[in-house]
Amino acid sequence: MDSSDTKRYWQSMEERNGEWSASPDEFPEPLPEPATAMSRRGFLQTAGFTLATATLTGCGRTPVEKAIPYLVQPDEIIPGRSLWYASTCGACSAGCGVLVKNRDGRPIKLEGNPEHPVSRGGLCAVGQASLLELYDSERLKQPLAAGQPASWDEVDQAVLAKLDAIRTSGGAVRFLTGTVTSPTLQALLAEFLGQFRDAHHVVYDPLSVSAVADAHQQTHGLRVVPRYRFDRAEVITSLDADFLGTWISPVEFTAGYCAGRNLEADPPQLSFHIQFESRMSLTGTKADRRVRVAPGELGVLATHLAARLAKRAGVRFAAEGLDAIPISPELLDEVADRLWQARGRSLVVCGSQDVRLQVLMNFLNHLLGNYGKTLDIESPSLQRQGNDGELENLLRELREGRVAALLVAGVNPLYDLPSSSELAGILQRVPLVVSFAERVDETASVAHFVCPDHHFLESWSDAEVIPGVVSLFQPVIHPLGQTRALAETLAAWMRKPQPVYDLLRQNWRMRIFPRQRGENEFDAFWDRAVHDGFAMVEHKPLQAKPFQFDAVRAIPSVEKPPSGALALVLYPKVGMLDGRHGHNAWLQELPDPITKVAWDNYACLSPATAARLGVRQGDVVRIETLSADAATPALELPVYIQPGQHDDVVAVPLGYGRQGTERFAKVGPRWLFAKPSVGENGRVGVRAAPLLRWTGGCLSPVGREVRIAKTGKQHALACTQSHHSLLTPQNIPWIGGKKRSIVQETTWPAFLRSRSGGTASHTEPPLKEDLWPPDHVYHGHRWAMVIDLNACTGCSACVVACQAENNIPVVGRDEVRRQREMHWLRIDRYYAGEDDVDVVHQPMLCQHCDYAPCETVCPVLATLHSEEGLNQQIYNRCVGTRYCANNCPYKVRRFNWFDYSREDRLQNLALNPDVSVRSRGVMEKCTFCVQRIQEAKIEARRQGKQLADGDVRTACQQSCPAQAILFGDLNDPKSSVAQAMRSPRRYRVLEEFNFRPAVGYLKLVRNRAEDSGEKHDG
Amino acid sequence: MAERPFVPSAAGAVVSRPPLIRGNKTAGDVTRDITRLLESRPTALWWFAFLMAFSIFALGALAVGYQTAVGIGTWGLNRTVGWAFDITNFVFWIGIGHAGTLISAILFLLRQRWRTSVNRSAEAMTIFAVICAGIFPVIHMGRPWLAYWLFPIPNTRGPLWVNYKSPLVWDAFAIGTYFTISLVFWYVGLMPDLATVRDHVRSGLCKRLAAFFSLGWNGSYRTWHRYEVVYLLLAGLATPLVVSVHTIVSWDFATSVIPGWHTTIFPPYFVAGAIFSGLAMVLTLVIIARKTMHLEDYITQRHIEPMCKLVIATSGIVAMAYLTEFFTALYSANPYEQFAFLNRAFGPMGWAYAIMILCNVLVPQLLWSSKVRSNLAVVFVISLLINVGMWFERFIIIVTSLHRDYLPSNWTSYRPTPIEVATLAGSFGLFFTLFLLFCRFLPVIAMAEVKGVLREGHATPVESAAVPVPERVEEPALVYRQADAGAGS
Repeated sequence: MDSSDTKRYWQSMEERNGEWSASPDEFPEPLPEPATAMSRRGFLQTAGFTLATATLTGCGRTPVEKAIPYLVQPDEIIPGRSLWYASTCGACSAGCGVLVKNRDGRPIKLEGNPEHPVSRGGLCAVGQASLLELYDSERLKQPLAAGQPASWDEVDQAVLAKLDAIRTSGGAVRFLTGTVTSPTLQALLAEFLGQFRDAHHVVYDPLSVSAVADAHQQTHGLRVVPRYRFDRAEVITSLDADFLGTWISPVEFTAGYCAGRNLEADPPQLSFHIQFESRMSLTGTKADRRVRVAPGELGVLATHLAARLAKRAGVRFAAEGLDAIPISPELLDEVADRLWQARGRSLVVCGSQDVRLQVLMNFLNHLLGNYGKTLDIESPSLQRQGNDGELENLLRELREGRVAALLVAGVNPLYDLPSSSELAGILQRVPLVVSFAERVDETASVAHFVCPDHHFLESWSDAEVIPGVVSLFQPVIHPLGQTRALAETLAAWMRKPQPVYDLLRQNWRMRIFPRQRGENEFDAFWDRAVHDGFAMVEHKPLQAKPFQFDAVRAIPSVEKPPSGALALVLYPKVGMLDGRHGHNAWLQELPDPITKVAWDNYACLSPATAARLGVRQGDVVRIETLSADAATPALELPVYIQPGQHDDVVAVPLGYGRQGTERFAKVGPRWLFAKPSVGENGRVGVRAAPLLRWTGGCLSPVGREVRIAKTGKQHALACTQSHHSLLTPQNIPWIGGKKRSIVQETTWPAFLRSRSGGTASHTEPPLKEDLWPPDHVYHGHRWAMVIDLNACTGCSACVVACQAENNIPVVGRDEVRRQREMHWLRIDRYYAGEDDVDVVHQPMLCQHCDYAPCETVCPVLATLHSEEGLNQQIYNRCVGTRYCANNCPYKVRRFNWFDYSREDRLQNLALNPDVSVRSRGVMEKCTFCVQRIQEAKIEARRQGKQLADGDVRTACQQSCPAQAILFGDLNDPKSSVAQAMRSPRRYRVLEEFNFRPAVGYLKLVRNRAEDSGEKHDG
Repeated sequence: MAERPFVPSAAGAVVSRPPLIRGNKTAGDVTRDITRLLESRPTALWWFAFLMAFSIFALGALAVGYQTAVGIGTWGLNRTVGWAFDITNFVFWIGIGHAGTLISAILFLLRQRWRTSVNRSAEAMTIFAVICAGIFPVIHMGRPWLAYWLFPIPNTRGPLWVNYKSPLVWDAFAIGTYFTISLVFWYVGLMPDLATVRDHVRSGLCKRLAAFFSLGWNGSYRTWHRYEVVYLLLAGLATPLVVSVHTIVSWDFATSVIPGWHTTIFPPYFVAGAIFSGLAMVLTLVIIARKTMHLEDYITQRHIEPMCKLVIATSGIVAMAYLTEFFTALYSANPYEQFAFLNRAFGPMGWAYAIMILCNVLVPQLLWSSKVRSNLAVVFVISLLINVGMWFERFIIIVTSLHRDYLPSNWTSYRPTPIEVATLAGSFGLFFTLFLLFCRFLPVIAMAEVKGVLREGHATPVESAAVPVPERVEEPALVYRQADAGAGS
């Protein structure tokens, strides 16, 4: 060891010589380290960290918002599964039963309740769309006092103070409402008004049928609107009553009407329906015989009919010196014969607001023995309870300043009634005006207090629209704002505040429960009623007096407008009705079933009248009244040329120009050349209510005499269909005027002779044998649809149902004008004939062809065929070449031209979480509600069952009041759709091209003689 | 083997023909004339044309940018008419390209010596037209950023692949192939000239680029030999493309089910139309180039004349196709088909049909007259009208077939938005911008080829035949061996 210390080893000569010494380090010289602190390793570490961080932050989405699970899981709520609650539709007073689909605590879809005895499973477009209003951010969130937000306490105290003062002074209190179908609310109203010495409940309907009730008062001593039973009627004669479209209870009537026209029944049934009308109504389009009659001629027509039937019945009826009407006596004889032969199985209805005319209707129905059979006044309809006479009284009282307090609920008199500007002035002099409107409407904006009611999906309530059928409304979501049910407000103002739930149960315990026999316990009865959505209870029939023949008077003369003038017909449009849903974007975008125009109202003129006046579609005309009162303003409206309308008539839809439609200025995509969806007045359409007319104690939409003046202005209408006939245009030489057999129809005699209706039906298997094996073989399910054109009325409920189910955006007027509406399901409407046109409706949706032209052309396989026959569109894969849409013979594909965000972000809550929201640049189309198919399949698998026929119901099928749509598994020979596919009436659109669509159509059959059945061009 | 293709007509040259190249040019003159264009300052006319074209291109680029940012909704399309200006422009531009390939490949194989003066610009036109065409299928997509999904690129997106049944995929292949071959063919043809440029331009970027892209061309016999073989092979490869590309484009329509689209006549009809429109565009361009670049001696009546005659021929084919379409529709007994064609002629867009017939069938008949053919201004106007007519032909095929198809409820009209018009204009802007840049920066006349036809029409057959070695092969080699430019001849 020592030697090792002393002995010096050297490595080189230089070392030995002391020129260089070995260091203990491995490297003889220190490596040149850079002066900076960054070492190679450090650099690599830093670089690695930076890269990793950059990568991770780049990949990461926005910070995850933690979803906090329920601490205590509410019963029955499973995220991702929908719950259904039975309730009642509050969109109008018809009171249809609904089932509300709830997902994760919010209602996302309304569907008809198939068990409900009134609506029988259908739900109209308005009912479907009313869901959107729940999520309307313009609904009031708290009460208003003098236009300023206030708390309920403040409002209650202020109103109570005023009411107390009125109570002591004995001032007149008037409660103005629309039809109140709720027994509970009626009881509360009576109790509330009972506190005052001079209090009165005045009811009016904006779409009034007051004359019907008045006529029954005269003839039967009961002021009721009868319950019409179209299902029992074999011969239906309608005078200007649009009972399938907008009159009283269209869903109920459609279901009944179609029950009487069931061609698949054994033996097949087809009622005979003749429609006398001045404008083209939805009901008129379905009529077997449609006769154009000026509104002023209806009275004489009814008198003629009454005279003929009275003669047959042997009843004396003085009807001499009648004016001539342009209807052949033979036709009148034929109608009278048919009615007479179907005594007790016929029905005569009239939509007029002329009491004399309605009395004649009662006379006709009485002569035919229809009372108690096809129309019921002993248990009448309670869907329209308005009394225009009382409204007229109220207006007089208001004018005279005799009203101390006016409370308005459910109606909007400043919009609904004519002379609204005068009325607004009068209301300012009333000491207390309270509105219960959900949003600041015309009336609410002049009210001292606005006490917003709940949306019907937020509230408990009830409705008895048919005596003995009491429906329940149940809340399906916590109120979105600080709103309060009207019943609760009334209770508070009676100084016994109670939740509406308690009020309702109390009333049911006292008044409804004793009327039933099924249950002994109230709670059991209540639970069942809440579960079912309605309860059947006993009803004591009303007692009608014997028919008062004295009341019947002939109407001998025609009311004809002076030459050069036209008779004005104001009418409710399907979807828009009286305008109460004017703020609903779905309904604004819904094309009218007849005119196919959305986002506007217009002046309908017959082609002959338009030619006479020298106006074309889209020309803006001025409608001026001839009557003396100068206060009536003139309307400026674009012309719509309506085939089938009477030449002496100009028809204008009501329900437009609503306050609150200003919001639609920002609906739809906004880009360089976009135009707003509102007109020059800042609103959608023009308010036509000023031209309503008081006549004989009734508010009539018909009969003003007007003159049309050109303005020289133009207004392009947003019309979704530009060619209206199945004929090719006449101006194309050689083949102009040729018909396309896209809609097939036949006549009743031809149908009875051979069920296919005479013309050769296309056969199954297809026309020619293929050289190649089929592209698609279906081993499991094979989904298919059959649409019965005979049942379809064109009511468009399916269109809105599809929109709600499938998250279809609203695009606005400008986009509709550019023919870019997004509805997956549209209803094609074709006219046939020249003056007396026939109309057919054809729902058109993706036909899910076996040999789908769209599938082969997609370059990226974004649309392909499923093993179950569905033509699928994969949004994520779509690059948007639009080749598929070009190659679709049915043009049912819809392209997202823009990002269509909702005008009201809150309404995104109505989106169906089962359906993707599509981004811009992708194609979309009907999926046969694939999400529903999947849901049903999962449910069946969960329960270990086979999928049964009827387990899958598409949204359109579900809501159809006519049950015109069948959907199911074609591979199950017993399924209803397979049976319908075997119907001899079945044909397929464009069958000759061998696209093999999965949608079949059932031929339309009209109940008319064969020879006249051949005018069809389409 | 290599020299044979270049002399066959020498023995049969007809003395009475006017010369192809005027002004008794020598090979050295050609080199001087053409390379001078690259060195001199651009003319005022060039600047004016370039700024015009570039501004219009910029406008179109803005329109495309806006449309990409906001959506296809900024176009006038609707639920029924899903294609209009976009695909019309696409087919139009693809068609334009075809004449370039025809001139450079087929006429080369057919020994048409007049092609030498125009083939460079015709090939350039092909490439620029295909660029213009290629833009439209991309921007017409709803989601253009996903355009690469149309190519069968191996990917991580699961089992996603393209649909080989779709004519749009065929299109992607056809256009890709066409662009590649055209570009390679053009570039190969440019190489000898680039070498000339390299040797004659004094200095600067132009010289360095020419040196790089001429790939070390040394003008040796071997180089020429390889070059001739490659050029011949590429001409052979490009020839089927003249037929195939527009055939495939026509399948976009022919394989569909839309009346007016679903017709078997489309492939020949489209090809004839493409050549027709392409020749018209070549005429337009060479007349412009002749004027702006002062190439009167190089582009002469001998070049314009055969193209005019080809225009007459193809116009006849196109007219025949228009008639045949009607006959097929009549004979089909298919009412939808019959309606589609009558609607084209007499429906709401009948005015477009009238323009098409006027420009494509009637106007070209003027070219039967040699007076008209020799008046370049008139030929220029006719060529423009033919371009208008051919654009309308595609517009009619696409829009009038779509706008009224099977179900009358679907029928709509179509009206372009200013965005679409700007896009169309912008494509022309791009095309002319590129063409004008080409005129400035590349030899606009194929010098090497023109030198081979200098004697055409000047020399007697005997003299020509007396030249034993084809001068076209040897002469440039001579030039490049010597440092001085003029010393070659």
